[in-house]
Amino acid sequence: MRFQRRTSAVLALVGTTALLATGCSGGSGGSGDGGGDGGGDGGDGAKPDVLTVAAWMDFPQELLDGFEEEYGIKVEINSFPDGASAQTVLRNGLAADGAGLSDLHLIELDWWTEMMAVPDDWATLPEVPGRWVDWKVTQGSVDGEIKGYGTDIGPLAIAFNSQLLADAGLPSDPEGFAELVGGEDATWETFLEAGREFISRSDAAWVDSMVTPMQAAINLLPAAFENPDTGKPVPLAENEAIAETLEMFATAAEEGVSAGIAIGHADWGAGFQAQQWATVITPAWMTGIIAENAAGIDGWLIADVFPEGGGNWGGSFFSVPATGPNVEWAITLADYLTSPEAAIAMFQLNGQFPSQVEAMDDPAVADSEHEFFGNQKIGAIYGQLAAEAGDAAAGGYRGVNFAGIQTIVMDGIRRVEDGSETPQQAWASAVAAFDALGLTTD
Amino acid sequence: MAAVAATPRRIGFSRRLSRWDVKVSPYLYISPFFISFAVFGVVPVVFNVVVAMHSWHRRLGQGEFVGLDNFRWVLEQPAFWTSLQNTFSIFVLSMVPQLVLALFIAAILDQNLRTKTFWRMSVLVPFAIMPAASALIFSQIFGQFGLVTPLLHDLGLFEDVNSPFFADRLLSHVAIATMVTFRWTGYNALILLAAMQSVPRELYEAATIDGSGRVRQFFSVTLPSIRATMIFVVLTMTIGGLQIFDEPRMYDGTGTGGPNDQWLTTVLYLFDLGFGEWPDRLGQAAAVAWLFALVIVVFTLVNFLLTRRIATSGPARSRVPASVTRRLVAEARAAVAAADAEKAAARASGGPPASDGRDRAPAGTGGTGR
Repeated sequence: MRFQRRTSAVLALVGTTALLATGCSGGSGGSGDGGGDGGGDGGDGAKPDVLTVAAWMDFPQELLDGFEEEYGIKVEINSFPDGASAQTVLRNGLAADGAGLSDLHLIELDWWTEMMAVPDDWATLPEVPGRWVDWKVTQGSVDGEIKGYGTDIGPLAIAFNSQLLADAGLPSDPEGFAELVGGEDATWETFLEAGREFISRSDAAWVDSMVTPMQAAINLLPAAFENPDTGKPVPLAENEAIAETLEMFATAAEEGVSAGIAIGHADWGAGFQAQQWATVITPAWMTGIIAENAAGIDGWLIADVFPEGGGNWGGSFFSVPATGPNVEWAITLADYLTSPEAAIAMFQLNGQFPSQVEAMDDPAVADSEHEFFGNQKIGAIYGQLAAEAGDAAAGGYRGVNFAGIQTIVMDGIRRVEDGSETPQQAWASAVAAFDALGLTTD
Repeated sequence: MAAVAATPRRIGFSRRLSRWDVKVSPYLYISPFFISFAVFGVVPVVFNVVVAMHSWHRRLGQGEFVGLDNFRWVLEQPAFWTSLQNTFSIFVLSMVPQLVLALFIAAILDQNLRTKTFWRMSVLVPFAIMPAASALIFSQIFGQFGLVTPLLHDLGLFEDVNSPFFADRLLSHVAIATMVTFRWTGYNALILLAAMQSVPRELYEAATIDGSGRVRQFFSVTLPSIRATMIFVVLTMTIGGLQIFDEPRMYDGTGTGGPNDQWLTTVLYLFDLGFGEWPDRLGQAAAVAWLFALVIVVFTLVNFLLTRRIATSGPARSRVPASVTRRLVAEARAAVAAADAEKAAARASGGPPASDGRDRAPAGTGGTGR
């Protein structure tokens, strides 16, 4: 059988290099140097009939068929309705020593740290030089070992309603808008300053909610809440960087710069329709969501600018549970599914913005025009922002208590936005909530 | 030959078998429930004690033994106490209208309606909707552009553009209680309806002949007759209502009970600790579970006693206080004794006939009776 011969050849290849398949088309190349009886030395047992992938989005069928054609292994997607349910299943599986896990798991950046609590749960993946933007590899590594192959990223840009800006007598083209919020030297202060200018001329708010920009600002801090050396949290009362960040955004919120309705809120979609705000902090994956919620409202554009040099929100990785029966083959599949070609196919199907350099530059991504955003080439815009963002976009240190403390602080800005507290009170109650936890601090 | 020899033995065996059948098989029949209850009910509950006594990481599992520290920690958390208040507030706000509405709907369904089954099925429709889905719909209804908020704006009840049903604590409770009421009223109405239908129709006929209207019949015949079911409904409502989770969890995008813990319920707090942002707080979450179980037991007991008290003081017993009855009985006895004495005295003196005394005695005492 043709397939079997090719199989053993490939298995031999896996056993020796464990690094294959990057764009290698068909089995013909492999059968040349594999040379026969590689069956046993993969160190990994026989070749499986099926590899399972846990994820929560659609995959292009040709992509999965391509893998089966090349390696004779069927790829089965265990599809979850959303990231949260995939997270729960993965969490339970890890706690049960790998029971019920798929061969390959998609992990979202937001819960990456949690899943990497025990790095040995995950197979170390071979390096693929030059495939991703550097900071994506940094994010996907634990103690210098690559534990996840990057899929998409969420480079940050600002979407704005050019109609509202024009009505307020402010520049409404992307270049003019970029200058308005500070141009290349834009900071959060200049962004909020432009907002103050805007709300003095318009009934609408400047930004949907302060939660998103503040989250983006916190993400850029190298050590937001915890000491990277000890892993212990810094007492919130002494955390001046966070105090200043909260004060800056909370003061603006109190002045009415934001509408106080963040993504996820029941009123978010309605707010777009009522033109309640002029700008939204927009990671690449949010463009589709905005297009959906603001359908019928003309004039939304993406500006080629971001405060503090740019940043990242979200994105995912493919990781291989070390306890799985088909680790080596799963690594092959992870490699295959994160190839630039695969990333382009995923971008075309789901709009996920690739983390792969080659895919970003590909005309299929860079030259694609987005109908909702005035036929702008948003692929090119995000690609440039991702390249400019630099290593800071990888985000700072995240220890065990990062997510919990972050919620306490973000609740502070939410309380200012819903009018129940002043910025000073919000900080005081955030500190009180932190102190009530009784964490062992540094 | 062998078969012949085996026959009596077989009879003996089958007898023994049938004895076992009588003794053992009932237990076998009921065992599936008890086995699954033990595996999925008792074991986790007992294991929960172990978890509550340790520091416990979601991935790393059991940490060091901490004794009662987790319980102390939970009791020191302001969020825990806030969550208890919220839970009770939402519970009261949902239970009272639920009970009243369910009784009302059941009473209407108990009448002679056309297409009875259709109406009865219809009230169950909200129950068939997933709580998560109805939470999403209701969070829209109470949103800025929903059905409710603009109306209240037009009435001039508040100024701010944003919906107050998220910022204000009590209003968020009202919104969530509405979801619960929407979901459970039909279900409870059907249970109450079943009870109402078992009330003997003769009672209503008799009441009608006595001249009582529909309303009076409802309060004097229907309600006292469905007492036991009312207790059941109130108890299940108490237990279910206190465990409220889906609705507050889905009420906003973050699902953590609001920035000020406005609608943080205790089960949501438990979930946040154990399965939310803190990877190492399963022990504390287990402690919350135990403390909350205690609270529910106490609260259910109180509710049970209250409901039983209300139910037993209904018109099934005399409305006349015991003291009055005792007084009347004593007076009657005294009157009879007096009459006897009078009779005896009359007989002795050959006075008027006994019938006079017998006529007079009830007139003097009976007048104070009913």
